[in-house]
Amino acid sequence: MSTGSRFFLLNVHLQPRISADDMLRAARRFGYAAIGISTIVNGGGSIAPASDNPAIYTGIEIVTTSVSDLRQKLRRYWSKVPMVVVQGGEERINMAAVKDHRVDILSNPCGEKWDRGELKPQMLKYAAMNGVAIEFNLSVIIESRRGKRARILRRLAENLELMRKYRAMPLLTTNTRSIYDLRAPREMIALASLCGMERGDAIRALSEIPAGILTRRWKRGMEAEQL
Amino acid sequence: MREKRRYILFEVMSEGEVDKQRLQRAIWDSVYSLYGDTGASESRLWLTSYDCGEDTGIGVLRCAHRVVERVRAALACIHSVDGIRVAIRVIRVSGTLKGVRGK
Repeated sequence: MSTGSRFFLLNVHLQPRISADDMLRAARRFGYAAIGISTIVNGGGSIAPASDNPAIYTGIEIVTTSVSDLRQKLRRYWSKVPMVVVQGGEERINMAAVKDHRVDILSNPCGEKWDRGELKPQMLKYAAMNGVAIEFNLSVIIESRRGKRARILRRLAENLELMRKYRAMPLLTTNTRSIYDLRAPREMIALASLCGMERGDAIRALSEIPAGILTRRWKRGMEAEQL
Repeated sequence: MREKRRYILFEVMSEGEVDKQRLQRAIWDSVYSLYGDTGASESRLWLTSYDCGEDTGIGVLRCAHRVVERVRAALACIHSVDGIRVAIRVIRVSGTLKGVRGK
């Protein structure tokens, strides 16, 4: 069913109590056309089955501290899912992720609590070259207060400036785990403006960029290298 | 001179019941936290009405017309009200109370 919306919400992590269909229903109410659910893969576990609903995309999120483990998991899962997310934080994982065109999204490059890693020009050059989107997780703005929020906003603005310079793709998310973490696209655009993101860029980070990730548009010409 | 106003119709989805007073406090806290005292005073914010149910509520917020985007951001920053998890969604913005409620 088409909703007429062009917005996508990716990197959704479902809590056990909520089904993908319930999350999609809530997301549509907030104005999204489709959602991308990331399942964290640990060890050799199997991946969640793809949904019958064409508006629900099921991908994986790789959480690891070892570069060799990251590459092994990319080899195992890349061809099986429409979206591969790598949780960053440590600099060597960030760098390994953006150097590999099989990665679609680098999430939390500065750590979940913004206490690790930072975006570097070299990293962003690779991200732009390999079509790896860098997650802009707005939940840190929502959940932090006062000094911490001020520091995070400043770092987000610095990151954004660097990303513009190197033409890396930002992806707006809210680290959605339940329906209470959902924010409507217009609200996301207003939040992104707090760190200096222009309206047009924010719309692109919620529509064109995620749509391109799900259709592997940013990877055109790279599949042959893999084979 | 009277400044132009905007009315924001919004929906609150919550884990439990959130009354008008607590919601109003949460909105003010969020605006103060994001924009400070001067920003809050410029917003000319007023919770015109709020009907709460067990896990949803609908309200109308009045603000100065220049700060609608700021108020959107402040509403988006509210994630809980006195420990009750909430998500606020703006449904519509209009220049008149009749317009915001009417459609």
